[in-house]
Amino acid sequence: MTADSAVQPGARQVADRALARGYGAAWLAALAVSGALIGLLVWTLGAAWIRGVGVWGVNIPFVWGFDLINYAWWIGVANGASLFAAILVLRRHDLRTAVNRFAEATALMAVVCAGLFPIIHLGRPWLFYWVFPYPATTELWPQFRSTLTWDFWAISTHALVTSLLWYVGLIPDLATLRDRAPTRWRAQVYGLLALGWRFSLRHWAYHQVAYRIVAVLVLPLILVMQSTVAFEFASTLVPGWHDTRLPLHFVTSGLAQGLATVLFVAALLRRTLRLERIIDDADMNLLGRLVLAASLAAGYLFLDEALSTWLSDPVRQRAGLERFTGTYAPFAILAFLLAVLVPQILWWRAARLGFWGPVLVGLSVNAAVWCDRFSLLIGGLQRGHLPSLGGTYAPTLTEAGLLLGTLGLFAALMLLFARFVPVVALYEVRHDEHQERT
Amino acid sequence: MREAPLHGVAAEFRHPDALTGAVEALKAAGYRRLDVYTPFPMRDLAHALGWQARILPWIAAGAGLAGAAVQYGGQYWMNAVDLPLNVGGRPLHAWPAFVPASVIVAILWAGAATLLAMLAILRLPRLDHPVFSVPGFARVSQDRFFVVIRADDPLFAAGGAREALAALGPDRIEEVRGA
Repeated sequence: MTADSAVQPGARQVADRALARGYGAAWLAALAVSGALIGLLVWTLGAAWIRGVGVWGVNIPFVWGFDLINYAWWIGVANGASLFAAILVLRRHDLRTAVNRFAEATALMAVVCAGLFPIIHLGRPWLFYWVFPYPATTELWPQFRSTLTWDFWAISTHALVTSLLWYVGLIPDLATLRDRAPTRWRAQVYGLLALGWRFSLRHWAYHQVAYRIVAVLVLPLILVMQSTVAFEFASTLVPGWHDTRLPLHFVTSGLAQGLATVLFVAALLRRTLRLERIIDDADMNLLGRLVLAASLAAGYLFLDEALSTWLSDPVRQRAGLERFTGTYAPFAILAFLLAVLVPQILWWRAARLGFWGPVLVGLSVNAAVWCDRFSLLIGGLQRGHLPSLGGTYAPTLTEAGLLLGTLGLFAALMLLFARFVPVVALYEVRHDEHQERT
Repeated sequence: MREAPLHGVAAEFRHPDALTGAVEALKAAGYRRLDVYTPFPMRDLAHALGWQARILPWIAAGAGLAGAAVQYGGQYWMNAVDLPLNVGGRPLHAWPAFVPASVIVAILWAGAATLLAMLAILRLPRLDHPVFSVPGFARVSQDRFFVVIRADDPLFAAGGAREALAALGPDRIEEVRGA
């Protein structure tokens, strides 16, 4: 095999990584930690399932807590990452080779995490199918004038279309794994998933068009998704929420968050799987600049918020001031600092190409968006007129388990993805390597 | 044991340019039923052979419109006709509230139709195919290029397919057998 490996080191290297027998103690340890966090998630969800949502700190006036914050947060990761992947597919960009497969995977795993919440926060999760229009014996139909039903269609479509984008791109690579698999049963598993793909040029022609169509479909989907979340707030009368600029705020900060997550995952994969040749300096450079641009756009939106607060009516002004000076001001200020100021280190080339720069920015922007959603949701709900409404929001430990648990779920899914599937598109790498040789 | 029927004759190439040259020569020689196998998409060659998926976008658009119509119509019928529920005097036919789900379901139908139509047109999944029996064909998923003159080509019966392929300087030539 050594003579062959000299021909196409890149694609082989990635394919054989997915077929390797062992994956090292660090991978196992990471999987064990995330497995433990999944255990925590099961316990948390089980508590909410059996005892009810009273195990969370939500109460009047704080009717929403971690459940909705985490939902909006994961949706941000998913949307930013899939918007990025879709644009790469459509623009036939060189960067696509390196990053679009794991950007798609990042999006898909984030959707899985996000998708849990709307079911769980219904309060009676076992009745979630009531939002689906089926001929019930009660002879009732769902109330489509309620925003709750939007979630059902949006989340299920988001999950399906994101997995479609990932899977359609993956089919030929699964066939490569089928052909290189060392054991018969692995060849059979990959073979079944590859649907008998035989690399026919006619099939490629259809495949490439289908891939691009799905990528086109992702663009309106994520704009609708992110703004649907925001419109669900905006259609209420809470002063901090009832705002037409909210969808734009969610889309922009969500994009920065998704891009930062892709940058974070890229740095980790590059380091741990030794992919420096495939995810090369030019890729990291471009990705770093994109995150920087997205964080500047998020900064612009913070300024826009200040301006629109200043120009609006007194009630809205008070709500806006409250966000940056009130009880929950630290969250809003942290959001601004972490989302806008920390990514400025990416102006330095060394920070873009290194390992710790992208990791720091990835964590920082994600933390920032979480704080931002917290500040908007909890801070928005805080104003009441009765003395009994004077308390502050107190999330319970069980509620914190929702955040930690979904982080574990996301990490575990990403670890399994990196273990069993090529983390970059093999046929793209192959194409590039052929072009380099000629 | 009876030998499996002849599916065609395959030639293997190492380089995409050699493959492109070979396919053009075979087309010039009058062969029409050619199968080409490549490790990565080659758009220009596929266009030259007339393989373009022009129908797929239309299928996606049609399915999307149908999905939107079904979703919007369904919401209207359920909330305004079959179960008209007066909530504070708000209009029963609340079109702005019906739009988000209609847009989303249109995307869902278009995406699902794209995948299903692609599989139906390409007759996939098909786990077995005569071409898999060619020794060393698995390398097509890495770095080898194959062209197959199928046995149902009008020129094939006259013989000479093997010789036509040999003249193109392939690495090797194999018979493809199977049904």
